[in-house]
Amino acid sequence: MKRNLLVPIVVLAALALMVWAGVTNYRHRKQQQAQMQKMEAVLIPNPPAASDEAPYRSPLEGKPAPDFTLEDLSGKKVSLASLKGKAVIVDFWATWCAPCKVEIPWFAKFHDQYSAQGLEILGVYADELDKDNLVKEKADIAKFMTDMHMNYPVLLGGDGIAKPYGGIDALPTTFFIDRNGKVVASTLGLVGRDEIEANIKKALASGASS
Amino acid sequence: MKNLSMILPAVCVLLAASASTQQLPWQGKGGSADKDHQSVRYLFPEQVTVTANKPATVELHFRIADGLHVNSHTPHEKSFIRTDLVLAEPSGVKIPAVDFPPGSDYSFAVNPSEKLSVYTGEFVLVAHLTAQPGEHLLEGALRYQACDSTSCYPPRKLPVAVSVIAR
Repeated sequence: MKRNLLVPIVVLAALALMVWAGVTNYRHRKQQQAQMQKMEAVLIPNPPAASDEAPYRSPLEGKPAPDFTLEDLSGKKVSLASLKGKAVIVDFWATWCAPCKVEIPWFAKFHDQYSAQGLEILGVYADELDKDNLVKEKADIAKFMTDMHMNYPVLLGGDGIAKPYGGIDALPTTFFIDRNGKVVASTLGLVGRDEIEANIKKALASGASS
Repeated sequence: MKNLSMILPAVCVLLAASASTQQLPWQGKGGSADKDHQSVRYLFPEQVTVTANKPATVELHFRIADGLHVNSHTPHEKSFIRTDLVLAEPSGVKIPAVDFPPGSDYSFAVNPSEKLSVYTGEFVLVAHLTAQPGEHLLEGALRYQACDSTSCYPPRKLPVAVSVIAR
């Protein structure tokens, strides 16, 4: 009799254990899934497909470009205000930025083509320089400029003026400023050469002539 | 995994003793560890068990957010920031090497002739280690620089921690 009772009790206990293990496992998996979803939420969101993408428009467009004074590689100070009367491209870039490398030769050619009409290009180095390694970092930038035939000044300390320019979260970010110092166009990321040239013409055409 | 190239100097190994008093690898210069702006996520493992005092390998799995890529460990251009793993070597653990997978070719639509060497999606690094008996905590950081199809984001450091149980 005792044995007859013991068998179903053991079977029931085993079944109960299996159900408990199943429920626990299910809950654990759910928790893990929730954790994974939470982790995914901190990733940078997917960029929209090209067809859905609205053209970038900086809030600065139509407003005066924030003034700045930065040093070039030789230590010479250059201010945006000193270029009033000229159309200015302010291009935030870095040596590690592959799309910047595509645009830079275009800027060099546009500089040759339009400087007589009053175009100035300022390549603003966006990355913070390592103060303990400044000489080497400057030498690397200088070599990059030579290799890329950059015929316009590169200014250091771009990280310090990123905020007034709306926060430079990605490179390249480029502002096209007219002769009165007003931002007439802006681009984020690599855009076509034609778009850049159209923005240059817009900047040259707007504002008072020098 | 078969094509993984072993690059001995790839991993910068620091002594645990000095790590405790100096900046940890992901706290130094060369990229923020801001967790809210990471383009890469460390997937697993959080814990591994290896045979004590025998060479072992640990596969570290990472995932890059959709639509983004990071430079491989061997970018074609010297000025580009390569993906690297910096690990502190705790007492009782030796990490002689980390294998990095080869990159895939990638080019921007407006400049198809220039090829970049990148990782996309999930990628796996293989750490070679030998551990003395006991439980050890491997801590380090993945340094990477991500871009999408038109723009690039600042370099980042992603903290990585793996508990190693050696029996």
